[in-house]
Amino acid sequence: MYAVEEKNDVFTEELKLNLGPQHPSTHGVLRVELKMDGEIITASRCDIGYLHRCAEKIGENVTYLQFTPYTDRMDYLASMNNNLAWSLAVEKLIDVEAPERAQWIRVIVAELNRIASHLIAFGTYGIDIGANTPFFYAFRERESIMALLERPSGARMLYNYIRPGGVGHDVDDQWLADVLAFCDEFERRWKEYNTLLTNSHIFIKRTANIGVIPKDVALAYGCTGPVLRGSGVKWDLRRDVPYLKPYDELEFDVPVGEGTHGSLGDCWDRYWVRMREMMESIRIIRQACPRVPDGPFMDKKTSGMYKTPLKPKPGEAYVRCENPRGELGFYVVSEGGTSPIRCRTRAPSFCNLAVLDVLLPGTMIADGVAIIGSLDIVLGEVDR
Amino acid sequence: METIISFVGEQFGLEGVLALSIAYAVCIGSLLGFITVYAMFAIWMERKVAAHIQVRYGPMETGAWHGWAQSVADAVKLLFKEDLIPRSANKVMFLAAPAVVFCGVFAGFIAIPFAAGVQIVDLDLGVFFIIGIAAIEVIGVIMAGWASNSKYSLFGAVREAAQVVSYEIPTAVALLVPILVVGSFRLGDFNAFQEEHGWLIFHNVWMPIAALCYFISSLAGCKRAPFDLPEAESELVSGFHTEYSGMRFSFFFLEEYASMFVAALLVSTLFFGGWTLPFLDVTSWPYGLAQGVGMAVLLVKTFFFIFVQMWLRWTLPRMRVDQVMGLGYKYLVPWGFAALVGTAVFEYYGWRFVPGVF
Repeated sequence: MYAVEEKNDVFTEELKLNLGPQHPSTHGVLRVELKMDGEIITASRCDIGYLHRCAEKIGENVTYLQFTPYTDRMDYLASMNNNLAWSLAVEKLIDVEAPERAQWIRVIVAELNRIASHLIAFGTYGIDIGANTPFFYAFRERESIMALLERPSGARMLYNYIRPGGVGHDVDDQWLADVLAFCDEFERRWKEYNTLLTNSHIFIKRTANIGVIPKDVALAYGCTGPVLRGSGVKWDLRRDVPYLKPYDELEFDVPVGEGTHGSLGDCWDRYWVRMREMMESIRIIRQACPRVPDGPFMDKKTSGMYKTPLKPKPGEAYVRCENPRGELGFYVVSEGGTSPIRCRTRAPSFCNLAVLDVLLPGTMIADGVAIIGSLDIVLGEVDR
Repeated sequence: METIISFVGEQFGLEGVLALSIAYAVCIGSLLGFITVYAMFAIWMERKVAAHIQVRYGPMETGAWHGWAQSVADAVKLLFKEDLIPRSANKVMFLAAPAVVFCGVFAGFIAIPFAAGVQIVDLDLGVFFIIGIAAIEVIGVIMAGWASNSKYSLFGAVREAAQVVSYEIPTAVALLVPILVVGSFRLGDFNAFQEEHGWLIFHNVWMPIAALCYFISSLAGCKRAPFDLPEAESELVSGFHTEYSGMRFSFFFLEEYASMFVAALLVSTLFFGGWTLPFLDVTSWPYGLAQGVGMAVLLVKTFFFIFVQMWLRWTLPRMRVDQVMGLGYKYLVPWGFAALVGTAVFEYYGWRFVPGVF
């Protein structure tokens, strides 16, 4: 359109912007190479692997039990759920089932951890959009959850609590009562979050119609969890493939995006799915706490096997669980030895991140940050 | 200024250039001192306001009482920090940028009346001068962004330039409304007018609109949230001052708080009665006392508006670049002009709130 004379040294060119790996809003060590035309992103390329710790390879070199703490460090914001998926995979391999009491405790701690994880997603998303205050509110409640989870497990973030065969330690009635008390408090706080951020006009303007993932794209890229449900697909493993018995008996809804403020599958929908999932988790915990039965919290046969390394029969197992971020799957192959010969993880963040390169081109840099935040990735899990 | 010159003349028998330079030195020194002390207080206040909004305490340790000395300690730390200049930076521009940025706001303070007679120069075009000279800051920011040789800095600088220049239109238009009523650009006249006729915000039905327009656009002019795009932390790391540290960084900081003060002070002076109180007539009071009370009243009002700026910052999310521009051109400019025309019509017919009645 404009012919630039060759002699003239004033010219325009694409600006290559390196977003990350050290950047306030890439949620860890994600690096995104952006090509910018002014404020508008024209092309993007994700560069991952900065947090690669060979978790899967380690899994092939340690015993089945020893790998549980490593799963903690994958999605470090939802360690309970990771433990759960791994334990279920090992249990499937050795063909045992956790006792009834352990199953109910697992549901409670996993849902508590889901709330904690979504709280981080909510708080950091606020920061991505430029509102710093919600973060502190979210961390206040997360602190209570961590204190609650610390009591049975002894750790605040990396619990190693759910183990093949049951759970690590028993919980007492006082703990269950405190969990219920937390539920009451949290419901009040949740309303505060909505007045502060969800219904803020600027926030809606910043997130509605941004980063729209249509249903077919979400399915094609293997998105799961809130990212998939934000696009209107009602798919939740807890409801559709109950991997723990209690989920069959409990009543809860699966929130999906409705395109409230714009197109279906935009950032706001994903955000709102997460917010409502917190309340669904509260509902689950409310029902589960009074129903925790008496009995052993650990399968006798399995805990007996703890003294010597587990040696499952040759075979393979694949178990998938609904993590806060989506479907977490563990594929374990045993050849009869003390450690698996293949230990593969299907990480939800990794699959959700793939859709980023489709979403970014054509948006502004501020929207790019909003989109990365709305996918809610944990780099520990992406890179493993 | 004249007071100091005559004081120096009477006491020490100095005249001409010497008296003038002494007066200049005293004025500039006291202003610099005022800005520094004010900025330290405002930073402490900001941290406290932010903390209490965010259910925490903020600084509590330094200086025993609610961490009052935290800003002092921070300032000392910044002074002693290593003076870093990126190797690929344009050295001259990099060094000059913080000074240029600070100059614009600092020059604006010259025309500010703190109380009757407590003012360095009572310019005929006081309001005009303040908003005009503040625009120098944009040049400094662009210099900083360009000289840093960092992409994030450049983004921040370009955003700043676009934003601040755009928002000068609604700022000026909104300020024209009280100017139209008072019929003067001189800041002292606003105080005198409001002493006689009551606060301008209650003058007619258009005034609150103009005040709101001005306040919002002044937020954008000061790069305060929700318009803090030039230094949007989650997008541009730190915007145009990403590469700055130590003393030079503190100049940008100082500038931000100083321009907040100017904006808040203009709101209080032009719309909320300046140093006057509706039920308190201090004009007949003795010279020093009236000035003291007037200054206190003005500072309380100013700090209230600074508090509102902080309150907004820690509550609202950040807007996007195009939304900021849209707000400026689609809402603030039309409403500012509406207020201007409306006030002109109302003034002509002598109406105040309901056309044709009163």
